[in-house]
Amino acid sequence: MSTLNVSNITDGTTTVGTSYVVNGSAKAWVNFNGTGTIAARDSLNLSSLGDNGTGQYQVNYTSSFSTVGYSVEGVASAALTDVGGTVSVSATGRRSYNDAGTLTDPTYYYHTVHGDLA
Amino acid sequence: MTHGHLWDRLAEAKSRLDPVQSKYRVVFEDPATPDEAAKVLVPDPNWMACALEGNILPPIDTYQRDRDVPDGQPKEHPYAKPIGAMTEEEAIEYLIMKDICPSVWRDYKGNRTIMKIVPVELVPSDRSFRNAWKIKQEADERIAA
Repeated sequence: MSTLNVSNITDGTTTVGTSYVVNGSAKAWVNFNGTGTIAARDSLNLSSLGDNGTGQYQVNYTSSFSTVGYSVEGVASAALTDVGGTVSVSATGRRSYNDAGTLTDPTYYYHTVHGDLA
Repeated sequence: MTHGHLWDRLAEAKSRLDPVQSKYRVVFEDPATPDEAAKVLVPDPNWMACALEGNILPPIDTYQRDRDVPDGQPKEHPYAKPIGAMTEEEAIEYLIMKDICPSVWRDYKGNRTIMKIVPVELVPSDRSFRNAWKIKQEADERIAA
């Protein structure tokens, strides 16, 4: 694997600092099925998923974050989402609810994290 | 030769390796919250591909030492020299030590069986009563205890 060491990237007209690109990239993400025997469809930087009960999951990272000051985005099919349970540099707890506020298992759960890696 | 940052190796490996769906799951209960349902740990297919390939993941003891490193301080595992290929069984043991609290796999001294590695087909696909799942206690294990 080779490394390109540059401060800026340009297309000849517009220039952007490499740090914007590096810092703006998602450092972890997963698309998983939260029903049945839960399973990731695809992912980056995950070691495992935890199934902690109906609508309760834990995303475990292979390469940890520097601090818990990372930013999490999440969407689930036909469900509301939030962060709950464990929140650490190496794992994030996620939950999903139906419109009535009851924990529910979504067919599609999308989870993305931006932040600084350790 | 430098081995770079773990995240870079993961990103490179994802472009090169096919995901591997493990045939195992880890079912466990947290002894600190005995009334909660059993949890199920599901290995990530891309991670499993890295474990079986070798020269990508760091030694497990680096994660264990990093547990004691305060947030914001440099951690060891992203820059540690990667280890060689694991078997699927070794990878599951590695994952238990990485992603399950030591109070479950190392420190628990009680009589109950609170952790089991099981084939995926033994995990119920029907999620009825999911919040009440418990690990079945075998009679011979209770006698042995």
